[in-house]
Amino acid sequence: MNTTLLIPIFLPLVAGFVLLFCPNRIRALPKVLTLCISIVAFAVAILIFTQGSLTYAWSVLQIDNLRLDLLLHAKPLGAFILLFAMGFGLLITLYSLKSMAGAKRLNEYYGAILLTIGGSAGILLSNHLLFLLIFWEIVTASLYLLITTGGKNSNFAATKSFAMIGASDAAFLLGISMVWTLSGTFVMSDINLATTSAIPIAAFLLLMTAAITKAGAMPLHTWLPTSGEYASASVMALLPAAIDKLLGIYLLVLVVKGLFSLQSGALSVLLALIGAGTIVVAVMIAMVQHNLKKLLSYHAISQVGYMILGIATMTPVGVAGGVFHMLNHAIYKCCLFLCGGAVEQQAGTAELDKLGGLGKKMSITFTACLIAALSISGIPPLNGFVSKWMVYQGIINMGSSQTSAAAKLWPVWLVAAMFGSALTLASFVKLIHSVFLSRLPSRLKNVKEASWLQTTPMIVLAALCVFFGVFYYIPLKLFIYPALGLDASTTLLGTWNSTLATGLIAVGVLLGLLILAIGQLSKKVRLVPTWTCGEVQPNDQMIIPGTHFYKTVSSMNGLRQLYNWQERGFFDPYNQSGRVGLAVTGLLRWLHSGLLPMYLTWVTFGLVVLLFVLCRIW
Amino acid sequence: MSIPLPVFVAVPLVTAFLLPIFGERGKRIATLLANLATASLLGLAIAVIGKSGVYEIGNWSIPLGINLVLDGLSSLMLLVIGTVGTAAMLFSARYMEQYTAKAKYLSLFLLMIAGMNGVVLSGDIFNLFVFLEIASIASYALVGFGCGAEELEAAFKYMVLGSIASIFVLFAVGLVYGNTGSLNMAYIGKAIQASGLNLGLTFALSLFIAGFSLKAALVPFHAWLPDAHPSAPAPISAMLSGVLIKTLGVYALARILFNVFGISLHTGWILVILGLTSMVAGAFLALGQWDLKRLLAYSSISQIGYVVLGIGLGGLILARGGNPAWASLALLGGLFHLANHSVYKSLLFLTSGSVEMSTGTRDMRKMGGLGGKLPFTRAACTVASASVAGVPPFSGFWSKLILVIAAVQAHFIWVAAVIVFVSLCTLIMYLKVQRHVFLGELPKTLKQIREHRGAMVVAMISLACLCILMCLLVIIPSLRSSILDPAVKALVDGLEYSTKVIGTQ
Repeated sequence: MNTTLLIPIFLPLVAGFVLLFCPNRIRALPKVLTLCISIVAFAVAILIFTQGSLTYAWSVLQIDNLRLDLLLHAKPLGAFILLFAMGFGLLITLYSLKSMAGAKRLNEYYGAILLTIGGSAGILLSNHLLFLLIFWEIVTASLYLLITTGGKNSNFAATKSFAMIGASDAAFLLGISMVWTLSGTFVMSDINLATTSAIPIAAFLLLMTAAITKAGAMPLHTWLPTSGEYASASVMALLPAAIDKLLGIYLLVLVVKGLFSLQSGALSVLLALIGAGTIVVAVMIAMVQHNLKKLLSYHAISQVGYMILGIATMTPVGVAGGVFHMLNHAIYKCCLFLCGGAVEQQAGTAELDKLGGLGKKMSITFTACLIAALSISGIPPLNGFVSKWMVYQGIINMGSSQTSAAAKLWPVWLVAAMFGSALTLASFVKLIHSVFLSRLPSRLKNVKEASWLQTTPMIVLAALCVFFGVFYYIPLKLFIYPALGLDASTTLLGTWNSTLATGLIAVGVLLGLLILAIGQLSKKVRLVPTWTCGEVQPNDQMIIPGTHFYKTVSSMNGLRQLYNWQERGFFDPYNQSGRVGLAVTGLLRWLHSGLLPMYLTWVTFGLVVLLFVLCRIW
Repeated sequence: MSIPLPVFVAVPLVTAFLLPIFGERGKRIATLLANLATASLLGLAIAVIGKSGVYEIGNWSIPLGINLVLDGLSSLMLLVIGTVGTAAMLFSARYMEQYTAKAKYLSLFLLMIAGMNGVVLSGDIFNLFVFLEIASIASYALVGFGCGAEELEAAFKYMVLGSIASIFVLFAVGLVYGNTGSLNMAYIGKAIQASGLNLGLTFALSLFIAGFSLKAALVPFHAWLPDAHPSAPAPISAMLSGVLIKTLGVYALARILFNVFGISLHTGWILVILGLTSMVAGAFLALGQWDLKRLLAYSSISQIGYVVLGIGLGGLILARGGNPAWASLALLGGLFHLANHSVYKSLLFLTSGSVEMSTGTRDMRKMGGLGGKLPFTRAACTVASASVAGVPPFSGFWSKLILVIAAVQAHFIWVAAVIVFVSLCTLIMYLKVQRHVFLGELPKTLKQIREHRGAMVVAMISLACLCILMCLLVIIPSLRSSILDPAVKALVDGLEYSTKVIGTQ
């Protein structure tokens, strides 16, 4: 019994709940309270991580054999994710102090941040499925609240997100009640079901749906880009980019490796297919986006594919790679969203067309963004490369060591993963070009660097990107291997000597800089106005917009039609089920004509049916 | 010593007849008196928690005389009526200022409460019918209280369909009397146990089910509700959706089916099917609504479906001879949902009243961004919406959780899937409410509105607090064993009701 475990859960939850209903006039209270509590939560998370396996139990409810106990257990996987989740909470709180300073509903914003922190701590520490579900839904609801504090149209995005994640929560509830009837308990460490008959398979699929919707994998991803467009950047950085990924993948690992032992070949293929499909399709859509935050959102979807694919390989290296990628993704994507938010705030827009040349004006943001962008594209020696490398290893390993259907298809998964990585790089070239390089539009002459409160989290995250890449064995040995119960000596296949490679890359970059410097010093470059058939154009109006980079792809025959349908929401489960729902509603409303004789007919009809059933008058 | 049960009927009845004396001038005193009456009823209901007993009126022993019976189920219903009645009455104190003839309104309100308390306590079916009529007729008048064209049309439809329900019930009462020679529920139960059901009694049973389903607004008997509930003044909508359909419909149905006729496979299935169709149809109809109160009314149909489903599922398990613990869990889910729904749905109707009073419209397309203007209403509405949508830790989550688990446990996985699906539809409809009423842009026409504070806010906030605290009703063992468990036991015991009533003489 250890009550330390209660602190990171209930302190933020209670404080957050109170903040939601506290009057909005006291502007300082939410900030100070949230900052203090997120620091405490982070400190306690460090404590929990270092102290190892703590437990706590309290019986809440018992009706016959339905037991609801608050069982908390700091297992290595949960504890290490907790550490990072609390860290992200703290960084985002810091960032928000400045970025949300002018927001209207500050109490709700900070209240929901605290609810998110507490709820995710609850999910990661809970050893009881029902409590896991309760905390899970608290995080969903706080995502809704957070999105509603954004700008115009955010209410639409919030509704869509809550509806879609709510649907997956409903699947979660159904899934765990099926697990309960099968195994007779809600205690997670006591459950291990074989996926051999229909009911366990259905339960597995339901729980998987919950996990991948939260993480934002296809085809249930569509809430993510919509909220990316309308929610504020700090919200996107906190939840969809970081914590939702951590939680979704945490649940997926639990489901695949803990609650169920996967014995059905079809399920493995399905999982790998979701992973590979998500990687390729989402990155294809991301390439043609014109809005900075929406582009980042599609990448947040695409990267989930690697994590799922890694877990689907079921090989030690692959799973470790998937989980490591989850961590790395949270770091660089959080950083990217924070950079995006800073750009949007300073320049007043997130449309790529209207941005450009901000690299010199916002050099810290530019550097952080560049590091994170290279990292997400899997450029060595950054962290994104290492985990992707591990996922590739896992796929190859699966092909050589397993005989299932999923293993036989290993070349497909490998090609998809590598192709996706290349396209990611392509689309970040576009992003970096059109935001930071290109030419500065005259509108943006007076843009300044964001406040230190905003740049500090970016610097921390970018530094982590480098650190986890160059010294990849430290996080692997400290966090990932113990969390998955792997031997610390598990090695990567192939040769990857990060020290040597880093050294060589550094030398290469230095050489490049040297050449640049020589070119600049020799003064052989001449700047002249652009001359077009007698008309002289001032140089500052000649801008090559990044939005046209991949027009060839989007206007390719076949693809053009698909892009078109995608833009109009044909593949969006939210839109499609909305259409079906409206049709059913329309039919029912047609029956409700408002005419009394019609209603009397129904009553008679009902009575006649009752008489038939009960009195057997047939 | 027997508990003086007639006070539950006498207090509101006497106050109701006193109030019109005060007329237009003595409005304040009338309001005060009416509030005192409902508050004292709540106090009395709390005082009799956990108690049970039979009261014979005029000391005439049954079956010659009339008796009032208090058991776990009636005690739960008294508590629900008391709570919602108190809150709605408090809300009326300010809200009804916009109508004329407030004293008449108050006395009709109290008559309705008297009728409902009578239905819940009555030990014989004829008195049950009489009280049912008192409550129904008062509610017809209250629905038409605004006297606008829309209100009168709704009241007329409600009256026609309500009278048909009453006729069904009366006809069934007559058939039962003819076939068993008694009007007392305990004696009827005994007679049915002794000689079984003949055709006349099954016919009566069908009529009872149809009649009470009409009162409970179960699909396909629901058509009056979407007109009647939105047209009534907000506190009355809260009473109608919050308690009236449950007392006159669900309570009476459960009492007759479980304790008098005894639950059978057929009746169990009928309840389950009625519950499921109401849940699904109500939810889809609500999704398409733009009229705030109409949306809430359809949602009531959907929610009452949950209650009936839980009760029917429990009955079905009992009738199959299944594990009584499984049946208890389903019944617990149903009854807990009944209590929860009465609190959050009445709160939702009260908030809709507050919105309507401030903006002058019920059309959600003409609203938006009201969160800043009506902070208390928004907070209350958010809490209630979270409850009805089943967001933890609010009340609705717990009862739906119990229902899902009970259904899966009894191997009705498809039923659990429907419950979860309808719960999702409910979430979406309340997201729609939040989005169009409280979030978004404030229309130019509504720049000047303000919130009506005072009694209305007190009523809303106290119900909102209840929404948060309702989960304690199952979590704290002593509360569960004194409020919900006896109610469940009253239904699980089924036909033992007769021996309990007759045996305690």
